[in-house]
Parts: sequence; C-alpha cells; structure tokens
Amino acid sequence: MDKFLTFTIAGLSSAAIYAIAASGLVVTYTTSGIFNFAHGAFGMMAAFTYWQVHVAWGVPTIPAVILVVFVIAPIFGAVIERVIMRGIEGASDVVKIVVTVSLMVALLGIAQVIWPQNVSRPVPPFFEGRFVELFGVRVPWARLMALVIALVVAGGLKLLFTRTRLGIAMRAVVDDRSLLQLNGGRPGRTAMLSWGLGAGLAAISGVLYSTEQTLSAITLTLLVVNTYAVAVVGRLRSLPGAFLGAVILGLAQSYVTGYINPGLTIGPIALGNLAAALPAIMLFIVLLVQPEERLRAHGVERPRNPIRVPSQTVAIVGGVALVVVLAALGSLMSASDLVLVTKGAGIALVTLSLVPLTGYAGQISLAQMTFVGIGAVAMAAWGASGSPLAVVLVVAVCAVVGAVVALPALRLSGIYLALATAAFALFCTAMFFNQQTIIRAGSVQVPPLSFGPLSINTDFRQLVLTAIVFALLGNGLVWLRRSAWGRRLTAMKDSPVACATLGLNLTSTKVGVFALSAAIAGAGGAMSGRTFTADSFSLPASLPVTMLAVVGGIGSIAGAFIGGMLLGAIPIASTIFAANAIGIFRFVSLPVTNVLSFTPGLMGISLGREPDGAAPQIAVGYRAVGDSPPALVVSAAGAVALWVATRVGVITKWSFFAALVVFVVAVVPLLPLILTPRLPEDQAEPPRRVACAIWLALATIAAVLIPWATAITSNGVRVLLVLVLAALSARVAIGVLGVTPEQLRRPLPPSPDLIGVDRPLSRADAIEATHMMGLTEDEFEAEVSRAGADVAAAPVGALR
Amino acid sequence: MTQDAAAPLLELRGVRAAYGSIEVLHGVDLVVPPASVVALLGPNGAGKTTTLSVACGLMSPTAGSVHVAGRDVTGVPPEVLAQKGLTTIPEGRGIFPNLTVRENLQMATLAGVGIKQVEEVAYGRFPRLAERRNQIAGTMSGGEQQMLALARGLAVDPAVLLLDELSMGLAPLVVEELYGIVAQIAKEGTSILVVEQFARTVLGVADIAAIMVHGQVRRVGDPTTVEQELSAAYLGG
Repeated sequence: MDKFLTFTIAGLSSAAIYAIAASGLVVTYTTSGIFNFAHGAFGMMAAFTYWQVHVAWGVPTIPAVILVVFVIAPIFGAVIERVIMRGIEGASDVVKIVVTVSLMVALLGIAQVIWPQNVSRPVPPFFEGRFVELFGVRVPWARLMALVIALVVAGGLKLLFTRTRLGIAMRAVVDDRSLLQLNGGRPGRTAMLSWGLGAGLAAISGVLYSTEQTLSAITLTLLVVNTYAVAVVGRLRSLPGAFLGAVILGLAQSYVTGYINPGLTIGPIALGNLAAALPAIMLFIVLLVQPEERLRAHGVERPRNPIRVPSQTVAIVGGVALVVVLAALGSLMSASDLVLVTKGAGIALVTLSLVPLTGYAGQISLAQMTFVGIGAVAMAAWGASGSPLAVVLVVAVCAVVGAVVALPALRLSGIYLALATAAFALFCTAMFFNQQTIIRAGSVQVPPLSFGPLSINTDFRQLVLTAIVFALLGNGLVWLRRSAWGRRLTAMKDSPVACATLGLNLTSTKVGVFALSAAIAGAGGAMSGRTFTADSFSLPASLPVTMLAVVGGIGSIAGAFIGGMLLGAIPIASTIFAANAIGIFRFVSLPVTNVLSFTPGLMGISLGREPDGAAPQIAVGYRAVGDSPPALVVSAAGAVALWVATRVGVITKWSFFAALVVFVVAVVPLLPLILTPRLPEDQAEPPRRVACAIWLALATIAAVLIPWATAITSNGVRVLLVLVLAALSARVAIGVLGVTPEQLRRPLPPSPDLIGVDRPLSRADAIEATHMMGLTEDEFEAEVSRAGADVAAAPVGALR
Repeated sequence: MTQDAAAPLLELRGVRAAYGSIEVLHGVDLVVPPASVVALLGPNGAGKTTTLSVACGLMSPTAGSVHVAGRDVTGVPPEVLAQKGLTTIPEGRGIFPNLTVRENLQMATLAGVGIKQVEEVAYGRFPRLAERRNQIAGTMSGGEQQMLALARGLAVDPAVLLLDELSMGLAPLVVEELYGIVAQIAKEGTSILVVEQFARTVLGVADIAAIMVHGQVRRVGDPTTVEQELSAAYLGG
C-alpha cells in the first residue's frame, strides 16, 4: 500500500508538470492557431536560464524564479511571436509545422552551444529536505508545490479566458483577426501577450522538471511529446481535457516504473523502456478514439508561385545529367569528402520520399528517419547477401508499416499526423532501435547491394547507385504527378472538401501516399550500404530531414535534392570550417561548427518568409538555359572540359572547384543571353555580347589560375573567396551585357482560370462562353437586348 | 483641415486600391453626408467590399485619401478608427463564432463603451439574444448571428456605421426586420454606408444611392431614379 501511495503521489506530481506544460501549449494553440512544436524547447531554455541565473550567478531562488518565469520567458515568447509567428499567419499547416519544428531544432542547437553538454548542471530542488507525512508516506514539499501551482494555473486560466476582456480578446484573435480590429482591439498586442503567457507556462514546467531530473537539453525538449499526448485528450483546445490527460499519463508512467520489472520481455522486446514509450502509446490510443474531424470548407488560397510540373522528357534528361554530374564529381573527390557526399546523396533519397507526401498531398511526416531505420534493420536481417530481392521485400514491409502508422491520424487534420509520426519515432526508438536484440551495440551495418557479379562495395559505386536510384525514383514521381492519381493528390491538398464532394475517398488516398513515402524512405535505408547508429533513426534526426526538404522546395524533385544536399553539406562545411570561428571584436567567438549545428533550424524558420522553398527561385534563373540548345551544349562542354583538365592533372582540385563555381554561378545563367539570337525588342542599345563573353572567359580562367591551394591556408577562407569571386564576376558580366536575365523571360500565357480576374472579360470571352453553353450568337444577342443591356460596347466589365 | 458643419462624415477622394498588382478600385469618390443613409450598389466584383475595407482602415489605398468628419485619416489603423466612432459590420457575419453571445458583446466594449450599456441596448432591441447569452455564437441561426453583429453597431452608438451585405444568405423576412433596425439607427442621427448586391430592400431605407461598376462609382443620385439604371449596370455596359 505504501508503495502504491508513493507512486501515486510521484505520478500526480509529474502529472502537475505535464498539465502546466500542456496548458501553455493549449493557450498558444487556441489563441494563435499555431501548434507550437517548440513549446518543450521554450521550457528547456527557461530551465537552463534558471540554472545560469540561480546556480552559476548565485541569485537567490525567489528572485531567480521571478526573473525567469515572469520576465525573461514572457518577453522571449512575445519576441518570437512578433518576429517569427506573425509572418506565418494564414500559411498552410505544413509551413506552420515546419517553422515551429525548426524553431525547436534551432533552440536545441543554440542551447547546446551556450551550455555545452560536457558539464553536469544540477539544479537544487525547491524546499530541499522538507517533507510532510501523508498517509504514512513522506512527500517532499516540492511535489506538493507542483500540484498547487497546477491548480492555481488551471483556475487562473479559467478566469482569464472567461471573465476578463483581455482573455476573451485572446480567443477572439483566432476567430477573426480583422474583426477584432474593427471592434477596436489590437490583435498584434493580444497575440504577443498570449505567446508571452504560453512561454511563461512553458518556463514554469521546465524549471519544475529541471529540479527533478538532470538538466539535459534533449530530454527537456522532448518532454513536449508527453505534453502533446496530454493535450490531445482535450483535442488541443480544452484545458480540463488536458488536465485529465496529464493525470492519466502521470499515473500510468509512475505505475509502470513502479510495478513492471525492467527485465520483463515480450518476445525480443525488453520492457525496460516502456515508461519512455508510454506517451507515444497514449497518443496513438487517443487518436484512435477521437471522432473523425468534420471537413470544413475554406477559401481557396491562390498559390503564390505555382510549381511547374516538368515534362517526362525534362525529367529523364535531368536524371541522366544528375547521374553523370555526380559520377564526374565523385571521381575527383578525396576519400573523406566522397563519404560525406555519398551520405548527402543518401539523405536526398529520404527527402525525395517527402515529395509525394508533403509536396503533392500536403501531408507531413516527422518520422522519415524511423522508416529509414526500419529499412536498414530489415535489410541487415534479411538481405545479408545484398540481394536486390531483399530490398523489394523490405520496401513492402515499410509501406505496410507506414500505412498502419498513418491510419489513425489521417482521419484528423495535418497537425495530428505530425504528432502521430513524432510519437511513432519516439516509440520506435524506445521499443525497437534501443533494444539490444535488434540493434546490437547501438549500430547497424546495412549490407552493400550486389547485382550478380557487381558488388556495390566502394563509396564511389555507392554514390553512382544512389544517383541512379534517385533519378529513377524521381522520374517515377514525375510520372506519378502527371497521372490521374497525382492530380488527385494535388487536388486533395488544394481542397479536401471539394474532393470529398467529387466522391474521392480521402482516407485511402492519404494512406496510399503515406505508404509510398514510407516505402521510398525505407528503400533509402535498405540501399544505403553504410553503418547507422541507433541515434540516427531518432526523432531529433528526423526533424532536420523534413525541415530541409521543405526548405529546398518540396514541390519539386530538384527541391528534394537541394534539401538532401543542404543536410549533407552541413557536415562537409563543418570539416571545411573546422579551424574557423566567427569573432566579433573578440567579444564573442563562436566556432563555425557550432553555428552549423543550429543552421538547419534557422533555415526552416526563414521559410516563414518564403513558403515555396529554394528550388523554384533557383529554377527561374536556369530555366532559360534548358530552353536554349546552344547554351546547354556550351554549359555541358565547359563543365566536361574542366573535369577532364582536373582528371589528367593539368589543374588542381581547388582550381577546379573555383572555376566550376564561377562557371555555374556566373557563366551558365548568362549563356542564353549571349547565344540566343532573339533579344527583347524594347532594348535601347544592343547588348554587348562579345565583351561579356570575353569577360566571363577571363573570369573563369582567373579562377583556374589563382593558386588557391598554396596562397591561402584556411579552407574556410578559400571557399568564401571563391564564392565572392563568382558573385562579382556575375555582377560585372551583367553590367557589361546591359541586359538582365529577367528581361529575357518569356511571359507565360495567362491561365484560362484567371481570365476575368487578371484582365477584364472581352466580348470574345463572352461569346466563347455562350457557345460553350450551347447558345448561338443570334440567340445571345437576342437575350442581351431583351435584358435591356448594351453589351455591344466591349469590354463586358460588369461580368467581373 | 477645416471642420465645418456641412462637412461630410465620411468621404473618399480618388481612392485607388489594389490586391498585389491587380488594381480593383480605379479612383473612387464617395460622400456620406451627416445623418443620411447611403446605399452602395453594384454587381458582384465591382469593388464594393474593397471600398468598405479602405473606408474602415483595413486596407490602405494606393492613391487618394479617406476623410472622416473633415479629417484626413488615410492610413490610420482600423482599431483607432473604431475607437473614434467609425463602426464596421463586415461581410459574412460580423461575429466571433467560437465565443458566446455575451463574450461577443464584451468585445464590442473595446471601442470604449461599458458592458452594461452594450448589454442593455443589445438585449433591449433583440430579446432573443438575451435568451441565448451563454450560447456559442457560431451555433445560432444566420439571422440571430446578424442580429448580434448589428447589436454591436447599435450599442457603441457610432458616428458612422459601415454595413457590408447585411442580407447575405438570409430569408427575406429577416432582411426586412434588420433593415427596419437600420432605419431606426439612421433616425437617431448616425450616418450609414450600406453595401448591397441585391438592392430592392435597401433602396427603401436609403437617402442616396450610388452605383459602382468596375472599380468606379458610375452614378450617384436619388434612389428611385437610380433603381431604373440598376439592371443595365448588372448586365453590362
């Protein structure tokens, strides 16, 4: 009985912490419509700040708590709202999720830079050594205090949101921001207040938790998943629901710790980690019992920058080019660089798996690396000989697992899918990847593939294989996007309601695309031929993959490649810049490798300003090249010439790198202007093509001739100088030419859907429309004159 | 700016406005004299709602100016205008659907009137709202929601009231009842600008009618004479 009471009280006190954290989450969600995945990171930052203020600087407990919880955290939350969240208001679910997830990753990186992990930071508990006797059990004051704070928070929030005008205005902002303005309220200030309040609640939970556990950035940040499970009980909106969920989870975890023998096993799975997996299990159960969400019609957003679906020919050419270019580059690289690039290409396969799911269908997954892990583990178990048949089996398994995972969440909205996949990632880490019976000694070696006599046993072969697989899958996805099913996916992304009214089964379509995505990710694991640590399948490893895929521009295959390469490039950049630091007057000196640890997060946050990602913008500059055969030929010939010169040893690898960068950045985009005969007619003076061509040739030759390898010692400075040279060359070349690439862009013919929106309807449009309705011109004129209107005077603007 | 007794309460001068690169108002001139009801009519897409958005401050004009009681208020944020006595009931239902009736009324007090006064006026004029004060506003019928929206316009006792498509999606009887209330508000001295696509009901209430076509005010005049030109404006020309 004593044991039961002890664990009940322990469970209730962690329930109190969950409840406080969850109420912060619910507050920000109901008052801003943004589900803050970084909520745990807010609490983590607060806990570390509290340690800094209280322990490191020696400020007494009460002022330290007041400073952190009531001053620093709310200001931090308000600033985040103003700087980041206001920009993504009205953006799609995917963008909102990716931005807050990025914020979480960035904060995690920043915290690890400010407070390095190699120091232990104990936070003294509140009221140390004080106990009360309750039913014969000694209960520390701190635990009672947590319970009291939770009750105070519950009561306070209830009062705030139903009794005060400020609280009601906070709820009103989500309903209709501009209507609140028309009522005389200030939605901007209200939103900042609610984020401040949310951050304050996160801070309370973070500080309370830090006194019970060792201070660890990752543990504290991932505490948020427990909070998700708790908040979902109240459908993310109800505070009493969240409190109920907190009690259930707190008690369940406590009893599992108390009563289940860690040595117990079910088959090969040891139950030692069950307590860690409970939030994920609870989240799944709660999602299963949730009633299906009602589809709601909302206004169709006009896409800002519609992504052009490439033709199959373009996709095939692009695929071949990718394989050739990667093979050419790979043959020049040093062994250590090759390893990194091969890994980057492998990650590009994983980001590719998000193209159909996120890019086409508008759904999101935060567990892609988990599927890679399942693929890798299954391949290691069943395909030791490297048989391609084993890959097929593994891919099928991943597809089935993906479908099963997605099923409960897909009935609900995008946030729930993100939550379910995050929970799945945590569950798999606890119950699957961290099991000695499954991944021995924390790492798994995926057997290299072999096709009959050809074994993929070198990094170079692996790189070429990955490139070929990427090209094939990419082509398959382009084909898919152009098929009826692909149109169905995009239609579903645009308007689920419209699709449902057309008789489309949304659930089976979503399950299908999720299974496809899981299968591609699994293939990425099964064909990787490398060693993975169990860590690389965890949730923190999956988050950057999803983020950078979206940053690269998830609507297009090229975007997925850019995203994968960005992620692959970060370790490469770390090695290049290993000796460099960014110093500002020696006041702060930040090693570049540390900066790189939170760069992915910052990239994701920047998405708030550019929701389409990078690829569409880059594509605009290079599209003209594809339209001009002479430009294509010269580009290819130039690149090949550089490669051959390097291969036979005429120029050094650094010269090759510099010349290639100048060539790609400055020369290639301008080639169509120099080579195409047709130029804009309204140009006052003819472009100086010859002068420009000579300048570009000189710039490229200069890049070759500069003795990069000997003149400059630091790799980082070299890379910077090469980029500066390339940018300067491009700038000067445009100046010499007198025409910018934009001026040459052929205007696209207006979409028929936009006639009447972009330009007024003409008489011809009206006649065409009546023809389609089956009226002859005479009948039409008769109708018009009967209505007493004089339509003969074009344009028929009134129909707009 | 001089302020004399004859100055119109609301005036738009040469207002141009655009959504991105697409200009939808091509120089709108509109005057709402004191204590009068102006009906702004026109076909779908003529720019009526955009005109209203500019007038209430939600949208900034790309050219031209907005004057309230003789003062240039171009670029003044909507919440400031709301507190100064320019009340707007936007298109659709001007309510917060997830708040209760009473909480909606509480939001009306942001314009600077007490909750007591707001509740008195609202429940006095619409007893049905009193019965439903603790109901979530979004679960009421369309007519009741519009009453709640209109109650705000009544309770804050504005100098100028802007109404957008009061009749949208409502039964003719309800529309008639609502416009009866609009007429009463007008009698109490408030200047009103009403935007409507379906003109019949509003013309009985209005003192002045303006027809808007293609982003410009085509015709301003007496409601009875303007009515005859309406069909031509709707069907083309």
